[in-house]
Amino acid sequence: MRSIVYYLREFFRPEWVRKFFFAKTAPLVAPSYFKDYPSLTGKECTQCLTCMMICPAPGAIAVLHKKGGWEPEIYPGHCIRCGLCVEACPEGVLSSGRILDVTSRDRTAFSSWYRLQVDDTLCMRCGNCCVSCPVNREVDPQLAGTGTSASDEVIMRIEGGRVTILHEEKCTGCKTCENNCPNRAIRVARMVEGIQGEEEAEA
Amino acid sequence: MSILQEIKNAVRSRSIHVAYVDVGSCNGCDIEVLACLAPRYDIEQYGIYVHNNPREADVLLVIGSVTPQWVDKLRDIWEKIPEPKAAVAIGNCPISGCVYARRGTLTTPPVENYIPIAAQVPGCPPRPTEILSAILSVAPLIYKDYEEKHR
Ligand code: SF4
Ligand code: SF4
Ligand code: SF4
Ligand code: SF4
Repeated sequence: MRSIVYYLREFFRPEWVRKFFFAKTAPLVAPSYFKDYPSLTGKECTQCLTCMMICPAPGAIAVLHKKGGWEPEIYPGHCIRCGLCVEACPEGVLSSGRILDVTSRDRTAFSSWYRLQVDDTLCMRCGNCCVSCPVNREVDPQLAGTGTSASDEVIMRIEGGRVTILHEEKCTGCKTCENNCPNRAIRVARMVEGIQGEEEAEA
Repeated sequence: MSILQEIKNAVRSRSIHVAYVDVGSCNGCDIEVLACLAPRYDIEQYGIYVHNNPREADVLLVIGSVTPQWVDKLRDIWEKIPEPKAAVAIGNCPISGCVYARRGTLTTPPVENYIPIAAQVPGCPPRPTEILSAILSVAPLIYKDYEEKHR
């Protein structure tokens, strides 16, 4: 009999009952360094679209024109919180977790350029790419028709019956050439490289 | 309100049974759902139990961007869950298709097209705390006074 009483007393210890019926710890909250959806820092956006170009998730970020000017908007449900847009933005418009602190401490940044590639087995030397390129047009207004050019300053021209790329670094990545190529022979690729400790990285 | 309903409310607030199904994702969200079971987050202390049996479940966690093979099976699973029930979309995949929402991929998001979704937890993957608080906040909306509301 006594053992049963002891047993029941042990079983209904208020502390134990409370622990059984109520949660022991409040739900954890995200720590301050959590890399959440990027938020705006209030700095001015220049609509360079670097953030949209580096974003790996479809439909995650759009730079929209709002009342106060351009402003990037992040879409939860699309954004994977990788933080690349925060790191890539040259103006520091976006912020997430401690990414900005780390990039300014380590002086890291992204540098990017465009790479042009012509598949000679697909290209039929029509010259559309050289003619349609807006940079070419500015450099050599005479450039027309066959895509040959007397100027050495154009991005690319038809030379000896094939497309020769002269100044890849002038390409702005507009992809006009790609859109005007009848054979999908020319490809514009954006190359990104992480850099550290260089002058550009301070921006 | 009847006493029976009061009792049901009290019991249901401490007894939420969860089943989860991955209909085609990278498994990142599955791992976060499993992390909820770990001592660090300890989902059971809030009265949430993971059984992974739709016949016992109250809440279905849907993960993934729905591959064509899952379309009919997902509906089957949903129909097996007894009323009252709710489906929660975990991660970006069931909302938008996430990184799979590209031309040429064999996915057909969003999951809303196939079963009704009560809540969405965006993230790739969402934190276990976000999953936990979503379940905790959607459960009372669905189960509180269920019989009174649906008489
Ligand atoms: S955090 Fe990553 S996924 Fe989200 S908008 Fe920025 S770049 Fe895109
Ligand atoms: S948010 Fe930054 S990277 Fe994006 S458009 Fe504005 S200035 Fe450029
Ligand atoms: S992407 Fe634009 S700027 Fe670059 S080569 Fe093509 S047309 Fe010219
Ligand atoms: S437009 Fe295309 S097919 Fe024509 S020259 Fe340029 S790369 Fe070749």
